[in-house]
Amino acid sequence: MRFTPTRQALRIVAAAAAVTTAAALAGCSSADDAQPAAEGEVGGKITIWTWNAPGDGLEAAIPAFQKLYPDVEIDVQDVGNPAIWEKITTGMAAGGQGLPDVMNIGIDYMGNYVEQFPGQLVDLRDFGAESLESEFPSGAWKSGSGADGAVYGIPYEVNATGFFYRSDVFEEAGIDIDSIETWDQLIEAGVTIKEKTGVPLYNQDKAATEADSAGLWQLQTALQDSFYFDENGDITMNGEAGVHSLELIKKANDLGIVGDVQGSWDNLLAQLRGEKPTAIMPAGGWMAGVIENEAPEMAGKWGVRLPPSIEPGGITAAVNGGTYLSIPTASKNQKTAWEFVNFALGTLEGQKLVYEGGGMFPGYKPMLESEGFAAPSEFFNGQSPNAIFIAELAQDTPVLNYTSDYARALKAYTDAQTRVLLSGADPQEALDEAADQVAQQTGRKLAD
Amino acid sequence: MNVLSSTAGSTTGPTAEAPPLEAAPRPPRRRRRSSIGHPRLTPYLFLLPTIVLFLGFKLYPYLSALWTSLTSNIGGVITFVGLDNYARLLQDPLFYTALGNTALILVVQVPLMLALGIVLSVAFNSLLLKGRAFFRMAYFVPIVMGLVAYGILFSALFDSSAGIVNELLGYLGIGPIPWLVDPFWAKISIVLAMTWHYTGQNAIIYLAQLQSIPSELYEAAQVDGANGWQRFRNITLPGLRPALLLTVILSTIGTLQLFDEPYVLTNGGPDNATLTVGMYLYQNGFKYFDFGYASAIGYALTVIIAVVSLIQFRLFRERTPKPISPKKPMSSKEKTR
Repeated sequence: MRFTPTRQALRIVAAAAAVTTAAALAGCSSADDAQPAAEGEVGGKITIWTWNAPGDGLEAAIPAFQKLYPDVEIDVQDVGNPAIWEKITTGMAAGGQGLPDVMNIGIDYMGNYVEQFPGQLVDLRDFGAESLESEFPSGAWKSGSGADGAVYGIPYEVNATGFFYRSDVFEEAGIDIDSIETWDQLIEAGVTIKEKTGVPLYNQDKAATEADSAGLWQLQTALQDSFYFDENGDITMNGEAGVHSLELIKKANDLGIVGDVQGSWDNLLAQLRGEKPTAIMPAGGWMAGVIENEAPEMAGKWGVRLPPSIEPGGITAAVNGGTYLSIPTASKNQKTAWEFVNFALGTLEGQKLVYEGGGMFPGYKPMLESEGFAAPSEFFNGQSPNAIFIAELAQDTPVLNYTSDYARALKAYTDAQTRVLLSGADPQEALDEAADQVAQQTGRKLAD
Repeated sequence: MNVLSSTAGSTTGPTAEAPPLEAAPRPPRRRRRSSIGHPRLTPYLFLLPTIVLFLGFKLYPYLSALWTSLTSNIGGVITFVGLDNYARLLQDPLFYTALGNTALILVVQVPLMLALGIVLSVAFNSLLLKGRAFFRMAYFVPIVMGLVAYGILFSALFDSSAGIVNELLGYLGIGPIPWLVDPFWAKISIVLAMTWHYTGQNAIIYLAQLQSIPSELYEAAQVDGANGWQRFRNITLPGLRPALLLTVILSTIGTLQLFDEPYVLTNGGPDNATLTVGMYLYQNGFKYFDFGYASAIGYALTVIIAVVSLIQFRLFRERTPKPISPKKPMSSKEKTR
């Protein structure tokens, strides 16, 4: 047997190379041959992607669920936040390959996934999810739904804004926190606090080099019923409300009552513990638990109330983030996935277990109304953070349309704020520039 | 292969048995015969892993990125949009900001680092320096340092309120410098961090080149009465030219692709003061999921790098003859040897 000369040899090599390459690449995306559980049957195994605390909550609901459906196996995976967003993106970009059966999705990513990857999330109306709508705050429900009413996620965590403050600092400065109704009054009080105690009214990451530092602006803008985008997805960040918020931020900064603290978790804890003191700390409702757990020595020194309004008598409630449980259409076991989501979030029994296990603030109204949920907390001087959040969610909180371009808008805003805080730029000009940039990048229109 | 050649041997064996004289032509024949089949294929088989890896992990991504740069995600559908992404790039003020930042860092940092590298390499090569091995290693170590550790280290050093650098400067009466949080100082911080990271590597490359310069040249110059500076100017620098070309081009490419330092230290901020082309590409791809645009940025960067490298090749080539010309007799002598 003789080997034929070059050309054929090369052809063999080329063929071999092609086959091996194909095989190697195929290895990267393993085909999923698992047989789907038949429509309507509950059983088999489901996988959930989430992260630490919400994962603990869902774990806690599994034993009770398995009593109802003994042959269901549930694997809760702590993918990590923010790693989970890239992982979901990758899976969706690959047409749903490798995605789990249930995904925990942040409110700020929801619009992105729905718009960029249409058809990849199950419209949960297929399973009758619309009957749960009345059980959740309308703002939170709508942010998890499409414009046509399709339900893409059931609210898991619904964060109202907690306006936390250092009661000892206000006392030392001789200011009655309850007398403060608007942000203008608050800023005036901040001057007194700074004079008498040396404590800044609040801290900001002015250069925003560690993280985006747009939380305060988003809160103040939401209190004026506005956001980066309106319900049509047009850009509103440089509208009257947005500019007014940035003017308030600039005013406080120019008065010298704002500290500059870089936005890291360590620095957040330092502020909670009073090492880098701050008089107020507006944050998501989850902060209540963090303060209590991470700064136990500060018991009695933190208080919580509704945020002040922008105009006298204005809105004093704003949703500050939240998460959903969604089911990808790629799931082979959608029915089982739905049954678990429905049990964990749509029943009082499941909600109680999840809340005890993870401590995420729920949106389910029967849970909020349940006995003992709004019990006063000793740590917060006998105040009840939960009662405050419930009061906020009962207000008609503005729906925040995050769209698929939230990340760009957030970045453009943060840069504008940095220009205002560090170089004294004019708020209106800085925001106009930011809005134009977002429009140029995304092709969205500026709202009139 | 062994099997084939041995059967070939056994078939030719009996026919060419008797005369010992024929033993001589045998080996060449055998060699030639086996070279007809096997060895022609063998090298390609040995190359197969490289070819497969090249096709799968180089060529495919190149072509795929090129295709991606011509597409856009419109309403969840990947759509061919021709050169739209490139047109958008040309009108994107942030892209120009990124280019400007990158160019500024390039112009300031690369000469600074390479000059330092030369000084260090001369010191490493000097017999006067005690513990040379230790210093060489100490300066080379930063290049081994991982991105995360590097980021944490420099964040701790440059923290404006509690950083070690400001603490030390404070003792000298120099007020706290807003290292990472001021648009100007953030750029300086990036330059300093890069210089710390890569100078040692360049110094080692220069050192290797220095050791190839014949010591007779220095001796001859000394006999002729040349002082230290003259010897450095007329022997060391011209001798380093090949290494200089290499490091200038490598550092230029590295800086044009700059990503690590702004990513770990400033996140491209404040207000995009340290946004580099690499950072901007990353943001578009992985933060905004705009892969088409990110790929277009990647290809634009590739073109820029190619052009800049070509220019550098030209510049260095043109200059090469001048300083070497006085030593021409010597090099020709070497050739004749």
